[in-house]
Parts: sequence; structure tokens; C-alpha cells
Amino acid sequence: MSELLARIEPTPTVPFAGNGVTVTSAPPMARFSLRARKAADLEKLLGVSVPQKIGTMQSGVMCLGPDEWLMLAPDGTKIADGAGLSLAVTEVSDRNVAILLEGPRAASVLAAGCALDFDHFEVGRATRTIFETVEIIVVREAAERFHVEVWRSFAPWLWTAFVTVAAE
Amino acid sequence: MILIHCPYCDEKRAELEFAYAGQAHIARPLDPSALSDEEWETYLFIRNNPRGRHHERWRHIHGCGRFFNAVRDTVTDKFETTYKAGEPRK
Ligand SMILES: [Zn+2]
Repeated sequence: MSELLARIEPTPTVPFAGNGVTVTSAPPMARFSLRARKAADLEKLLGVSVPQKIGTMQSGVMCLGPDEWLMLAPDGTKIADGAGLSLAVTEVSDRNVAILLEGPRAASVLAAGCALDFDHFEVGRATRTIFETVEIIVVREAAERFHVEVWRSFAPWLWTAFVTVAAE
Repeated sequence: MILIHCPYCDEKRAELEFAYAGQAHIARPLDPSALSDEEWETYLFIRNNPRGRHHERWRHIHGCGRFFNAVRDTVTDKFETTYKAGEPRK
């Protein structure tokens, strides 16, 4: 069997660094898909206010759609199941992995396969989008730091694409 | 690349984040069993095929995930407007 098929780690653990950008595999973290018609129900569950503008993130919670949020939290975090509230909580910690792009060329590496306008994609924005043909979630954590969520099985391809562009 | 205004995200995004989803404003009959075969066939299969303005559904599938409606010119491929699902025909 090929090494690729047998590999358990979805992305390399050795970061790429050079040409004004680093590509790093993010450590494991907890992820929760949160669906609710009213943000107020979610705020009751989490005890923090959640963003209501689609495409923004605050306190680890990003608003992906009119009734959809994704929460990132330290590995091992548990939250209540929301019984009695009109919402759905699904733990998806192992569905995604995250790749971090940092450095002055981080935006241009992303822009190689993603049509978002990174000149106008402010810090704090978080949105689902597409890189080439792979669905990703981009979070701009700082001017030169992006957190990219991707489904686990797509991660080796995305890693290779980022590193290939970064090395050019 | 064509940019499409998503009425939920309220911004223009690249066409490749979207999926076409057929003609808009086709209401499912409230009582399908009361329909004749011809009426059911019309509901299921018969669609407009205009040269020009076309009301159609799109989905921001690689974005907010929402279905919405659009008016697009089938000759020029220009989007005249987009609006949320459930809003009246424009
Ligand atoms: Zn949208």
C-alpha cells in the first residue's frame, strides 16, 4: 500500500518556511457546528455574545450563514447539548484540520487559488469559500495571519497546494 | 470572473462559490393528488426558456449555504438583481 493511503497524519507536521510565508499545521482543537434560528438561543447556551453579521468572528465563534455558526475552542472543550433550546449542537472537532499561513506573503498564497479580495478582507472576517475546487473556511486572525479550516481528507492536497505556491 | 451579489452575505462573491438551482418561483401544489397527470407533469418538468430576463434560483453553496433568487439575462449572462428566498418576484 502506498505511503499516502496509509498515512494517519493528514498534513505534514514539519512546517514550511521561506519566501515571506510560513505554512503550519494547527494543533488539534475542538470544533462545534451550531445551528439556530435565533442568535439569542445560542448566546444563552454559550454565555457569550455571538456575531450576527455573516462572515465575521468574535470570541471563537464565526457566523457562516443566517442560521449557522462554527465555534473553535481549545482541544478537549465540551459545551452543553442545548436541550430545551431551539438549536442544534454538533461536535465536528475531527472533521476539519486547520492550516495556518503567516507572513507578508500569506494573503498572496491564499489568493493563488481563492477569489476573495484580500485587500478588503479585514482582520476578524471569517467565511466559507473555495480554494481551487476545495471548500475552505478562511479566518483572518491578523493582517498577516490566516487560519484555514479544511475537511480532513482534503488537507494533504491543500497543504501541497499552499507549499507549492509558497515555494515559487 | 462573474461576481454575484449574495443577498444574505450582502456582498459580491465569485461565481464559483455558487450553484445554479433551476427556475425560481415554482410553488409545489398544495394537494398533489388532486392534480391531473398533465398538471403534475407541468409542475415537475415544464420550464420557461426565455431569451433574456430569467428568474432563477441560485445557492451560495460554498459560502453561507443559502438559496436565493436572481434575475439573470440569458443572452448577456448579466445578473440584474438578486433577492432573498420568499421575497416577491422582481
Ligand atoms: Zn451568501
